[in-house]
Amino acid sequence: MDRRIAVVICFAFGLVMFAQYFSAHPLAHSVNQTVADYWQIIFAFALIVGVVGFLNNNFQQVRKGQDRPFRLLSLAGFVIMPVLAMIWGIKAGTPFLWVFENIQVPLQSTVFALLAFFVASASFRGFRARSVPAAILLSAALIILISRSFATGPLSEWLPDVAEWIRNNPSMAARRAILIGIGLGSLTTSLRVILGIERTWLGGGK
Amino acid sequence: MHLETRHWIFAGLFLLVGLTLVSGITLDLPVSPDTQRMYDFIEELPEGSVLLVSFDHEASSLPEIQPITLALLRHGFEHKLCLVGLALMAEGTAIGYRLMCETAEEFDAEYGTDYVFLGFRPQYIAAILSMGESIKATFPEDYLSRPYDSLALLRPLGNYSDVVGVLSIADGSFTTHWVEYGGRYELKVLAGVTAAMVTTYDPYLASGQMQAMVSGLRGAAEYETLINRGGGGARGMLAQTSAHLYVILLVILGNVSYFLKRRRTN
Repeated sequence: MDRRIAVVICFAFGLVMFAQYFSAHPLAHSVNQTVADYWQIIFAFALIVGVVGFLNNNFQQVRKGQDRPFRLLSLAGFVIMPVLAMIWGIKAGTPFLWVFENIQVPLQSTVFALLAFFVASASFRGFRARSVPAAILLSAALIILISRSFATGPLSEWLPDVAEWIRNNPSMAARRAILIGIGLGSLTTSLRVILGIERTWLGGGK
Repeated sequence: MHLETRHWIFAGLFLLVGLTLVSGITLDLPVSPDTQRMYDFIEELPEGSVLLVSFDHEASSLPEIQPITLALLRHGFEHKLCLVGLALMAEGTAIGYRLMCETAEEFDAEYGTDYVFLGFRPQYIAAILSMGESIKATFPEDYLSRPYDSLALLRPLGNYSDVVGVLSIADGSFTTHWVEYGGRYELKVLAGVTAAMVTTYDPYLASGQMQAMVSGLRGAAEYETLINRGGGGARGMLAQTSAHLYVILLVILGNVSYFLKRRRTN
């Protein structure tokens, strides 16, 4: 019975949201606005689930003694940031923003920058022209790499054109195929959910 | 300590990028059609046009995103556009506010009349759809908690029909959502994106669903050339060029050693 109510609600909302898309009536706009508002509120509540999960996981690991210093540091950050925000606010010049800009931003940028080192190492050990398709792929990658640098001009005048051709033809064709595939897949799945054929989102078996 | 090949590779990259960053060399870069298209689009907008600037990125991509953002904001303020900032990713909020305020200061732009920062809203799809109906209902207050109607720039803004478009500064696929959901309200979408995302947005640009795109450090450097202002784009571009050439050299060396080894084995 519970499941049937959920399916009926899903069907009703699916139908209404589908219909309002094609209508310019003020009621349709009002429905769209209201649903969007509720959507944001529900999403904000979903964050609570994430927070509880984060705390649970970290406390469990601390109790087990796994990566204890790192877990404690995560928990300290979790407590300190809201406290700073609640006492001094989150605007420019506040301790909250200072911590964000001088700790979080450099740390995240550093971790992201490490990718360059892994790519450099992988380029020496992994990017091999083992077959004709691999060689074609590798050549395309090298042309694109050069085209995104200052070296384009001195090396060749036609290189930017070749890079542009790769972007606008084979690359775009593949990307469009993927996008169309995703679109059709999303459409099919949405229809299955709205019509109650697909019920795995309700949990608990079929 | 035993050093492996990868350690030498890491050291080489570190030295190369470090040296090029401190060298201070500047090189000329031809402007690509994509970047020129963005410049022309902004140039053609009448003074006083309202442009939304959405900071849809994380802190990790700041070294690449910041030069792009600064170049575009500088052009916007220089061209006397009215900029309304917002963020659909929490991390973009503080960064976006700081960048907008710093750039506005360079051009003596006044908060509330020349630019406003609305802040962050969770659930990006809902936020985009909601703004299409009413910007005021989505952001009843700005980032500084001032009521919507107390700001002269915001007062006449109802929904997307009152703005010339949105400039999405993104390091992921967020701009796609502006195209897909903002497109319903015929919102024009511009993008400043990381180089890795270029191929994701190419189909939208080619189909006309996206008006213009500036991508990566190269795009930032080109835009700095167009607006005749220096910035982090050109400097970062030199470091990026050296890293790219280093990777190309490593690929060639790796393949040469692979084929030599294979011949020996055969």
